[in-house]
Amino acid sequence: MARMKFLCDAERCIECNGCVTACKSEHEVPWGVNRRRVVTINDGVPGEKSISVACMHCSDAPCMAVCPVDCFYRTDDGVVLHDKDLCIGCGYCFYACPFGAPQFPQAGAFGLRGKMDKCTFCNGGPEKDRSAEEFQKYGRNRLAEGKLPACAEMCSTKALLGGDGDVIADIYRERVFKRGKGSEVWGWGTAYGPGKPAAAPSPAPKS
Amino acid sequence: MPKLIRLTRWALAALVFAFPAAAPAQGKPADNTQAERQQTQPYNNAPVWREVRKEGQEYVTTVKGRETGVLVQSAGETWRQIRNGPVTVWGGFAILIVVAVLAGIYFSFGPLKTHDKPTGRLMPRFTQFERWAHWTSAISFCVLAVSGLVMLFGKHVLLPVTGYTLFGWLASLLKNLHNFVGPVFLLSVIVMVPNLVRDNLPKSYDFNWFAKAWAMFARNEHVPSGRFNGGEKAWFWGCVVGLTLLSAVTGLILLFPNFDQTRATMQLTWIFHAISALLFMLVALGHIYVGTIGVEDAYQAMRSGYVDETWAKEHHEYWYNEMKSGARSAAGGAVPAGAPRAERK
Repeated sequence: MARMKFLCDAERCIECNGCVTACKSEHEVPWGVNRRRVVTINDGVPGEKSISVACMHCSDAPCMAVCPVDCFYRTDDGVVLHDKDLCIGCGYCFYACPFGAPQFPQAGAFGLRGKMDKCTFCNGGPEKDRSAEEFQKYGRNRLAEGKLPACAEMCSTKALLGGDGDVIADIYRERVFKRGKGSEVWGWGTAYGPGKPAAAPSPAPKS
Repeated sequence: MPKLIRLTRWALAALVFAFPAAAPAQGKPADNTQAERQQTQPYNNAPVWREVRKEGQEYVTTVKGRETGVLVQSAGETWRQIRNGPVTVWGGFAILIVVAVLAGIYFSFGPLKTHDKPTGRLMPRFTQFERWAHWTSAISFCVLAVSGLVMLFGKHVLLPVTGYTLFGWLASLLKNLHNFVGPVFLLSVIVMVPNLVRDNLPKSYDFNWFAKAWAMFARNEHVPSGRFNGGEKAWFWGCVVGLTLLSAVTGLILLFPNFDQTRATMQLTWIFHAISALLFMLVALGHIYVGTIGVEDAYQAMRSGYVDETWAKEHHEYWYNEMKSGARSAAGGAVPAGAPRAERK
């Protein structure tokens, strides 16, 4: 089984926000929810770099560890998904996540946040693959259609890579070798190691 | 020991990030190291990457919202370690230990009884106002405690028993109850406290009560006290005033995410909220024990507001003397002469 990962090549990202738009349109994400965002460092000065960030589907996911209702699970592909029927909207996953991935449709008084929403690696949720309920709650399940995440597919400069971790690491290694610079893989240390246990699939909670 | 040092370091780190002043203005270039590096080594982006790995830096992004410009916040991992580590483990064991100790006291010594027979004459101990305020805070406290415990321990204790569907439904209900009952508890305490302050002011004989408390429970020795004894006063100032204040302030910060608190604020606040609430529950277990099964007829005072004269004399002798000598009127205020007396049993 492949271990799915995201990789953003900061030497290539041009901050076009195509990935953000692709994600919103693919999943019909509600207003105010941003499953993906592009962050620019040193904006307008030498050394400007942009990075596209979403859920990194961590090996040892902090969101999963702190969830009081245990609504997260990991697929065989290493994708971290959650069950919106169980989610109580406490916000703990948002406090724990290093990447700011968990989103809430509202930030209301008395802690009324609604159900958490986040990047699914275009892999839907616990509902039946490609069902109407799955689309309505989690967006399209492209992995079930044999496709890769829309954001990475749509990336105009192929800065954002999404897929089998070994394959995208090879692509990136070749790039670094050819251009002779820019070997920094942002977020990989935090999301996939070192010293983090390998992704062990945990079955979807039976709801 | 190294673990403890690490924990302290985490707590300090969390404290530092709690101050928004530590975060620089959004998109402001930190320095021009990269520009200088570019002159000599055009391909070297090391200064940029050093920058990126820094904690809590806000950069430029088109996505609106709180902290969307932050690339990585490692404090979340720290918070996770504190929550899933000491707070859950020590908190859980502390509750089990206190329950075991109370059960031990009950089954080895039994409930505390009066030496003499009840006289049948009742004395007013709590006004109706005091009882209503106390019942409101008592019930809301129990709701908060149970829902809080389910949110911290339910995943480990309840979920394996109930299964996901029932637990998800229950947790959702309890989370909302927790959020709406919290302010009720705070209000009831605010209403209750001014009434009870005067009789909870510490007196010299309260120290004597503490010295003899164990002998009282173990050998049923007589220890005189005012309207409230040393233990009740410690509970009043430490928990009803102190811990309510701490857990209410932290609770209100957590309750209103609409004011755009940062994650660092929420993490630190959560830690204080959880610890103060757990301490509150631990002491409350003792308070509830002596108020119900631990001391015979103490519950009558909470329920009806009246106690037997024997009970008053043996548990709160100075108060009994004051009442008898007419140095003070009925508890906390007016109970008109000839007011209906509560029947015993």
